[in-house]
Amino acid sequence: MKRFLPWIVPGLLILVWQAAGQTGMLRAQILPMPTAVASAAWTLARTGELWSHVEISAWRALTGFAIGGGIGFALGMANGLSRLSEAVLDSTLQMVRNIPHLALIPLVILWFGVDEQAKIFLVALGVFFPIYVNTLHGVRSVDRHLLEMGRAYGMTGRQIFLRIVLPGALPSVFVGLRYGLGIMWLTLIVAETISASSGIGYMAMNAREFMLVDVVVFAILIYAALGKLADSIARWLERVCLAWNPVYAKAR
Amino acid sequence: MNMHVSDAAPDPAIRASTRGARVVLRGLEKSFGAHRVLHGIDIDIPAGQFVAIVGRSGCGKSTLLRLIAGLDQPAAGTVDPGGEIVRLMFQEPRLLPWQRVLANVEVGLAHADRQTRTRRSQDVLAQVGLTGRGGDWPAVLSGGQKQRVALARALVGQPTLLALDEPLGALDALTRIEMQELIETVWREKGFTAIVVTHDVTEAVALADRILVVEDGRIAMDVQVDVPRPRRRGDAAAAAIEGRILDRLLTRQATFSA
Repeated sequence: MKRFLPWIVPGLLILVWQAAGQTGMLRAQILPMPTAVASAAWTLARTGELWSHVEISAWRALTGFAIGGGIGFALGMANGLSRLSEAVLDSTLQMVRNIPHLALIPLVILWFGVDEQAKIFLVALGVFFPIYVNTLHGVRSVDRHLLEMGRAYGMTGRQIFLRIVLPGALPSVFVGLRYGLGIMWLTLIVAETISASSGIGYMAMNAREFMLVDVVVFAILIYAALGKLADSIARWLERVCLAWNPVYAKAR
Repeated sequence: MNMHVSDAAPDPAIRASTRGARVVLRGLEKSFGAHRVLHGIDIDIPAGQFVAIVGRSGCGKSTLLRLIAGLDQPAAGTVDPGGEIVRLMFQEPRLLPWQRVLANVEVGLAHADRQTRTRRSQDVLAQVGLTGRGGDWPAVLSGGQKQRVALARALVGQPTLLALDEPLGALDALTRIEMQELIETVWREKGFTAIVVTHDVTEAVALADRILVVEDGRIAMDVQVDVPRPRRRGDAAAAAIEGRILDRLLTRQATFSA
């Protein structure tokens, strides 16, 4: 019974929506009925159009995430471990962080046109900061007592990093990761909606031109589903990697 | 909890010559900024002796232990810990929360091969009364159990000198007594030199062969505790020694407040 509780409200909403469409209270040009959206989805899936758009969008998202997240993680670690590196880089990064990355869209279009690089660049830039900031914070908050213990027990620098610093920073890195995933989809939606010739955002904008409202609604739902999927994977990883932590162990 | 003093514990004279480290401190000084924490410390600790360092908080007793263990460097003077393997036990267990109990014990044995590490760590876990808990996360252990794991980690490397910095300070009274007995038992079996810092004079008298009272950065008293082991709680000779040390510590306080 408890498992179904969270689904009661969304289920009711869909029923009301369908009923409103059936009775003509809600015109199909404003919001098509759930059944209409479902049949549009079925058509798109059957022709294969859907999968090519999802594929290209997912590729952009993950490539941008890997690049931005990778650099953010590396710099966060470097600045967390080395005072010199932090002194040289951190204040510059904090300044750049205060520019909303989506504000760069006009400039990015000038630089890269509407090519793949433009979207990947924006996603990477958006994902970079949450991962950087949280990795840095994670390394900083590693228990000094444990570091001292490691040195007293003759651990090498490499062992201290692998056995104390990295696992100690991991909970915070995961916070950055989940936050970064949210920004990843947000950035991609904006970038694909403004300028693209493929992808889910393009599919939605293209459908708008032909007044295919059902396809537009479906595109929005895909974004929601992909976002939820990414978050679920991150949570699963969190549970596996942080099983030692009673906070995460309980969530199982 | 089932603890026993092994009958096979070797004679103190023999094990002293084999397993313990002779610790020699000469003209030791340490300052933090303008504040002189320790000065004029000359101590000679024979191999295998159990020494307790007591004193009021802030008297420099923990600093002294950190110098002996090599965690800090002295401003002047020399420390000879008398052997390669110095192990430390802290007031907090300082276990790696992301490693299971067995892996935490193995931290104390970094340079052995995997098989030896696992086997010896399991042996030591059994010794501290945690047989079969090797696969647990530290988070599920009680405070006393965590401190046992920390003790196992310190012991697994077969130290010649074990330095304990108020290791039982955070434990409840009964667990403390159990842990004291456990520490005494392993010390008698292994014969390492032990130096424990504590603010609890009763604990010092229960455990140590010799008590050093630190006051204002110097050794104010050096007391031999000639009470036979195993020691009974409430022993008259022990109580007399405890009384002498407490008098000294409390009189000083009285002169301050007067």
